[in-house]
Amino acid sequence: MAEIVKVLLLDDEPIVGKRLKPAIAKLGCEVEVFEKPTDALKRIAEKEFDIVVTDIRMDEVDGLEVLQHVMDRSRRTKVIMITGYAMMELARQAMEKGAFDFIAKPFKPDDLRAVIVKAAESLGMSLQDRS
Amino acid sequence: MFSDCLDKWYICGLKRLKRVLDKQLAKRSTAESDLEDNVQGLADRRPRRRRFTIKAHIYIVFVVSLVIAMSIGAALLLTMFMMEKNLHFIETANKYVYLVYETRDRESDYVLYGKGLNESLETVRKLEEIVLEHYGDLKKNIDYENMVRNIEKYGKLLEDVEELEGTPQAAGFAEKKEKLKAELRKYGSEMLNAADVLMKKEVESTDKMMLLFRLVHIYALVFLFVFILMVLHLLGYRVLRSLNRFASYTKLMASGQYMNIVPDNSYSDEFYDLSLAIDQMLKDLDRQQNILAQSQKLRAVGTLTAGIAHELNNPINNITLTAHMLLEDYNDLPDEERLDMVKDLIEEAGRARNIVRNLLDFARESETIMEPIGLGEVLKETLKLANHQIKIAGVNMDLKIASNMPRIHGDRHQLEQVFLNLILNALDVTVKGGLIKIEVAVSDEPNFAAVKITDYGQGIPDHILHHIFDPFFTTKAKGKGTGLGLSVSQGIIAKHGGQISVSTKVRRGTTFNVKLPITTIPADLDKRSETAIDTQMTQPVL
Ligand SMILES: Nc1ncnc2c1ncn2[C@@H]1O[C@H](COP(=O)(O)OP(=O)(O)OP(=O)(O)O)[C@@H](O)[C@H]1O
Ligand SMILES: [Mg+2]
Repeated sequence: MAEIVKVLLLDDEPIVGKRLKPAIAKLGCEVEVFEKPTDALKRIAEKEFDIVVTDIRMDEVDGLEVLQHVMDRSRRTKVIMITGYAMMELARQAMEKGAFDFIAKPFKPDDLRAVIVKAAESLGMSLQDRS
Repeated sequence: MFSDCLDKWYICGLKRLKRVLDKQLAKRSTAESDLEDNVQGLADRRPRRRRFTIKAHIYIVFVVSLVIAMSIGAALLLTMFMMEKNLHFIETANKYVYLVYETRDRESDYVLYGKGLNESLETVRKLEEIVLEHYGDLKKNIDYENMVRNIEKYGKLLEDVEELEGTPQAAGFAEKKEKLKAELRKYGSEMLNAADVLMKKEVESTDKMMLLFRLVHIYALVFLFVFILMVLHLLGYRVLRSLNRFASYTKLMASGQYMNIVPDNSYSDEFYDLSLAIDQMLKDLDRQQNILAQSQKLRAVGTLTAGIAHELNNPINNITLTAHMLLEDYNDLPDEERLDMVKDLIEEAGRARNIVRNLLDFARESETIMEPIGLGEVLKETLKLANHQIKIAGVNMDLKIASNMPRIHGDRHQLEQVFLNLILNALDVTVKGGLIKIEVAVSDEPNFAAVKITDYGQGIPDHILHHIFDPFFTTKAKGKGTGLGLSVSQGIIAKHGGQISVSTKVRRGTTFNVKLPITTIPADLDKRSETAIDTQMTQPVL
């Protein structure tokens, strides 16, 4: 249980990273935040994360591509997709490709934390859910 | 008792007076309100023109023609009548002359051969008769009294001679006879003189009559000719000019420019009524077109809302996250962190507002406002509107705006609608990662600016190309396209005095070219010469 859950958060909206980083850190995770998908992909190549949270829709690289990269890198990593309103089609595609779950914008920090806790549990790691 | 009675009378009188006054007041107030109504009614209508209809014009022309024809007829009748009178006179004069000559013949018979005195007397009686009978004819032309006196004297002399002949034995017979003969000759020649005068008068009056007759005819002809020319000019010119005016209007209408039809006559007539009716029709047409354009716009807005909704998610998500974290950690956070969060909240709320405002501003039903605008700005605004759509489609936009573009005269929102339609059409045929080129430049055609929107999609085959501007023509699936986009766009551009053209190649792509007239000052719109100067001034800069 000593192992710390390593989380990578990717969203091209800076505020998302800025606010979610402390929120997720409260769970006892180690959080790295990226705004640029290319930077995130580079980091993913360097390091194996337990959980990757990524926006599904970004200007340069698609969230689905990020998912693909992560899957290629390590199959045990749980990927959580952030989708927009009325993007069920994309979400379905992501689930087919092996995403762990998706969460629709706009969401509350607790919503994401709950999904992360679930993902950690499925990895056999435990996190102290605040609630 | 008496004073009671007086009081009653007094009161009764007062009451009656009051009633009369009330009635009078009521009457006046109704009259006033009537007057007001009238004034209102007049003010409601257009500024009054003097009513002079073509019907009235024709009636007047007809009546005047009738009067003229009748007076010409009367003049001819009068001259005829005068001719007749003249003929009468000639006849009388001839008779007189004849009889005078005959009398003198007899006279000379008598003088030479001493016989024919009785016949001479007879002819003189006849002469007298004629002269008395035709007093009217002769009176005007000759010294009538003198004439009658001469004849009477002559007759008297003849009688004297006859008497003398009865007593040939009397003393101084030969002497007396000679004296009488001499007097006879004298009065005879007087009568001859009168006959000469009459003959002269006869010739004179005949000449005068002929001249009058000719003049009346010539004047009548000339007057008729001038009058007909005038009528032709007034009526024909009036009708033809109006018809020509309407012909030019219809040409403009056919090209989609619904200008105001202002009757140029200063009076109101059938053409004025017609122009009012057409004006009303155009207004109705314009209104309908606006309604159609508005509904098409709302559909385009519908297309945009999917993208907008997605775009709105981001600021809303940011606000949700920030607000929740602020609530959660409020007590543990340092002041500047909390301030930063609040600032973020405000900023993101503003972002959301901007996203919606653009769209709402575009969607709003607005009055047509024609003003000088830059085409480049209009296209930038349009791209902002379509931004999310473009992002979703994953298409690259290449917008090129020539520097120092002259302004055009138009309605911002309507033009945005046109370009949005063209961009959405292009997006529909462009694959992910594809390119759409937009060029804003001065057109090859002088005095026109051009916007070219080029896609590299499937192109439009010939059999479809004929129909793309038809209302409700679409090749898109139900619910995806209504087929109003291009038809409405064409209407809008035509109203701006421009045109849309297409060049396309199957499997290669399509270019829509929108041309709009360049202007700087609205008043220049219909003054070609000034716009020409404008462009000359702008061209060296380009
Ligand atoms: N850039 C283009 N490339 C190929 N075809 C086009 C293009 N633009 C228009 N068309 C054809 O012209 C038709 C009419 O276009 P229009 O914009 O009037 O209607 P629509 O796009 O079908 O519907 P709406 O615009 O009302 O949503 C389209 O259905 C399409 O077939
Ligand atoms: Mg269209």
